[in-house]
Amino acid sequence: MRLATLVFLCALSSVLGEDVSGRWEGSIQIPGREFNLIVDLDRAAGGESWVGSIIIPGLGVKGSQLSDLVVKDSDVSFAIKGALASERVGQTKLKAQLNGAGELTGDFLQAGNSAPFTLRKTGPPQVELPRKSTGLGKDFAGEWKGDFELNGYPRHVTLTLVEHGPNPATAQMVIVGKRTTNAPIDLVIQENNFLTVQSQEIGITYEGRLRKETGEIAGSVMLGSLELPLVVKRTAATP
Amino acid sequence: MFRGGPTHTGVYPGPGPRQFHGIKWRFPTGDRVVASPVWSEGTIYFGGDDGNIYAVEAKSGRQLWKHSTGGPAPCTPAVVDGTLYVVSYDGKLHALDARTGGVKWKFATDGERRFEAKGIHGLQPKNQTIADPFDVFLSSPVVAQGAVYFGSGDGNLYAVDTVTGALRWKFPTGDVVHASPAYADGVLFFGSWDSYFYAVDAATGKEKWRFHGGEDPMVHNQVGFQSSPAVVDGVVYTGCRDAQLYALDAATGKQKWHFDNALSWVISSPAVVDGKVYFATSDSSLYHVVEAATGKPILKQQDKSYMFSSPAVTDDVVFIGVLNGTLQARDRKSGEVLWNFETETSKKNNGWILTADRRFNEPLLYHSSWREDPIVAADRQFAIGGIFSSPLVMDGVVYFGSTDGYLYALE
Repeated sequence: MRLATLVFLCALSSVLGEDVSGRWEGSIQIPGREFNLIVDLDRAAGGESWVGSIIIPGLGVKGSQLSDLVVKDSDVSFAIKGALASERVGQTKLKAQLNGAGELTGDFLQAGNSAPFTLRKTGPPQVELPRKSTGLGKDFAGEWKGDFELNGYPRHVTLTLVEHGPNPATAQMVIVGKRTTNAPIDLVIQENNFLTVQSQEIGITYEGRLRKETGEIAGSVMLGSLELPLVVKRTAATP
Repeated sequence: MFRGGPTHTGVYPGPGPRQFHGIKWRFPTGDRVVASPVWSEGTIYFGGDDGNIYAVEAKSGRQLWKHSTGGPAPCTPAVVDGTLYVVSYDGKLHALDARTGGVKWKFATDGERRFEAKGIHGLQPKNQTIADPFDVFLSSPVVAQGAVYFGSGDGNLYAVDTVTGALRWKFPTGDVVHASPAYADGVLFFGSWDSYFYAVDAATGKEKWRFHGGEDPMVHNQVGFQSSPAVVDGVVYTGCRDAQLYALDAATGKQKWHFDNALSWVISSPAVVDGKVYFATSDSSLYHVVEAATGKPILKQQDKSYMFSSPAVTDDVVFIGVLNGTLQARDRKSGEVLWNFETETSKKNNGWILTADRRFNEPLLYHSSWREDPIVAADRQFAIGGIFSSPLVMDGVVYFGSTDGYLYALE
């Protein structure tokens, strides 16, 4: 009897999980304003865990990743990664429950405030996955150096781009000014002759275009709203 | 390209839906969509104020890719030979692989900005420079002769090589250029907020002629070319904020005729076909059809709200967006409204932005001309789900963006 109950509960959980998969649309009403809310939920490629993304027209949120995504029985909870968040107010979170009418009802929690929402399934999931590093051509691989200026002081940049065949490239960016910053690089993208290197942790992006004739990458460092020219040249350390 | 091609005629061959059958799909973005969609090989491309450029499958509304620019992108892209060109508030022209969204190159201008002036539109304090909240579009690129041509908030018209992304030439004007240049017979035609309309040789960047529109040194309201021109049979047609629709000789710049709109801006870019010019006005909210040869009125229809959107002319239906959140289908011959589609946001009318009969509720919105109040009011006005975007009609489907953040496909 106990085994049968367990099997039934597992089956129920599985069915509910499948029901949660999809595109969910509705709105949140906060005092004085109403926003549409679109949440995409799907099982990850492996099958057990979940992935998701969210769109809130009017708040600049388009395809933001969901973190701490938990689907358990009829309960769904997650936080929004990298949007509508700050150190002071923390992350925006959503907690919802699948009701008997097939709706996800719950609360939108932001900055200590709470607003109820109801979402209805409108179609299959269209989860936006985060950008991933690409492979890197040999033209780019190696060590590059250059300088940019910030507040009148030079910053010396050493950019090391490592290619791993067909696998995603990795990179190191060391910036030496008054102090030395080793920017943890989480994204390296090569599109044609165009390179983008990004460290989300310290909020720095470098993008530039390879000029084969001069053996340099000419581009800009972006720090918030600042855009600072940076040309890097190959060093002798390049194999 | 914007308005269907380099001459910006606004004509979309084939039928448009004479009856509204429903929403085929709607595609959500993170912010308002004021720019217009373009179609290429089964894909819809458009720029969003959330800073992204989108490629969406026309059949399903499924996102194929998005490319994040460094600022809002209220710009209609041009897609030519597999490359998409678009301008963003990051001050750059982006060249992207139309299939993948991958960057081919970027070209940096001297930077974007909105038209601005002291005491603009009578806003106060009158000795303070204020950015114009109604300067909503960025210049849409036009591609010809192996170059991309576009205007910029830095006051220049740029010519950039399509392959290398290198500057060919730039033509300076006296103020913001956010209209899209039209191209015909080796000449570019465009207006600036400096009150002049220019014809420039596309190969050299040399000025051929300039035409002086109205000026308004007091409140800077009745000045500037925000409308993008259309060129047909040697005549350039353009709207102007000085409340005129002008017809200019393309060879000389001499005015052939003008149509006065009694202080109401003509932001809408005219559509020109079969000897007729179709356009709309903002404050007076009028839909006009006039004779292309003479400017004589053929028909006039009173609407309820401002129109910045440009008419899309199909075989027998004309489509146009209205800022109160309505997409209108009008009979091409009679001008009568065949059907209206209203965005959900506009129907909800949160904050009573609209009157009960869908006009702008100006007394409630613009209760003060001081400091930020009018700017906030304009922002609230825009948030009603208005349609600034010029419709694209393809295979019987009407595509357009709305300030509610969605791109719509109606059938």
